Amino acid sequence: MNDHQEEAVLELAQQAGHVLLENGAEIFRVEETMERICRYYGVKSENAFVLSNGIFMTAGDGREGTFARVQQILVGRTNLAKVTAVNQLSREIAEGRYDVEEARKILEEIKRMPEKRKIVKILGSAVGSGAFCCLLGGTLEDGLAAFLAGFILYIYVLQVANPYLSRIVGTIGGSALVTVICGLAHQCGLGTRLNSMIIGSIMPLIPGVPFTNGIRDVANEDYLSGSVRMLDATLIFFCIAIGVGFGISLLGTVTGGDLL
Amino acid sequence: MIMSVLSAVIGTIALSVLVGVPSVYYLYCGAIGGVGWLVYMIALNPAGQGEGVATLLATMTVLLLSRFVAIWKRCPVTVFLVAGIFPLVPGAGIYWTAYYIVMNQLQLAAQTGYEAAKIAAAIVLGIIFIFEIPQSFFLKILRKFSG
Repeated sequence: MNDHQEEAVLELAQQAGHVLLENGAEIFRVEETMERICRYYGVKSENAFVLSNGIFMTAGDGREGTFARVQQILVGRTNLAKVTAVNQLSREIAEGRYDVEEARKILEEIKRMPEKRKIVKILGSAVGSGAFCCLLGGTLEDGLAAFLAGFILYIYVLQVANPYLSRIVGTIGGSALVTVICGLAHQCGLGTRLNSMIIGSIMPLIPGVPFTNGIRDVANEDYLSGSVRMLDATLIFFCIAIGVGFGISLLGTVTGGDLL
Repeated sequence: MIMSVLSAVIGTIALSVLVGVPSVYYLYCGAIGGVGWLVYMIALNPAGQGEGVATLLATMTVLLLSRFVAIWKRCPVTVFLVAGIFPLVPGAGIYWTAYYIVMNQLQLAAQTGYEAAKIAAAIVLGIIFIFEIPQSFFLKILRKFSG
């Protein structure tokens, strides 16, 4: 294998790791996938150090050429579809289905894979809010109010929070928003159990992926990345609570405090 | 009871959409979320106490199922795990803690905050315990199933 081919393999492995990390994979999965790709194509000296926001990778042992790259990765919006697709690709590489060039093309396709359409996400949030409101003690009517709140919440998340706001401010704003919407709906006579309505509507904001990945990273003894992800999840939980608090105080002031 | 499990299934599927779960796996995610919630409700004692233990048992069930389906469908376990955990996350605890803090009832706020932390800890332990089981155990059982 000449240096040029070797570099292509390492490049492929690193790109695969990049897509995985960016879209919410655990650290060990990223490391394992990169190693699997390198080993299959015959690069033996690959060494990678993966953190929650960066990949450090080197190769070279005298017989194989030297390669080193550091890549910073901004943690993006979770998209498990891409994680699944890269996982599938690495399996198929290990089964010997593709050469390096073909694999690279498939990876490019995965990177360009379209997001779910906005309206689908908005409806997902709306239905999720409604369902969790019913689950946590709400009636069908409360569920309807939560459905509305979840609907408006994700329009805000997709149009305002994701493009313009930081995660902290975006989350505080979102949970304050749903609290106020639920309060207003309740005031207008839609829904009776305000608490269940609000609890249901904050569910789309819950950081499920950082939370579970953080736990798994720590369990795998990737303490550094695990604690960063846990911190991220905990911070978001706190932000939700702060937002709800803001919303309740605001409602209290507007309605004279006898609302709740 | 049936209504509540049904809402857990629907809610789980709806929130899986938000984290980008591929649509072929929606039904598995929903089923895992529903079963997890069912276990939670059965494990709660009649007075509605013992959320910690109930959450631990439910999380462990969700984890076992997720690992089976992940190996069976050859797909990252995160897909099912995240979805199945959603109904168990202490959303209510977060809400009540914020509520009592704003209402200046600090004693109750501390109490509900502690409850929420306890539930989160139960989820953490449930996940860690089941991931200790080696992959080969799941493979063996799956092989038996497929004959």
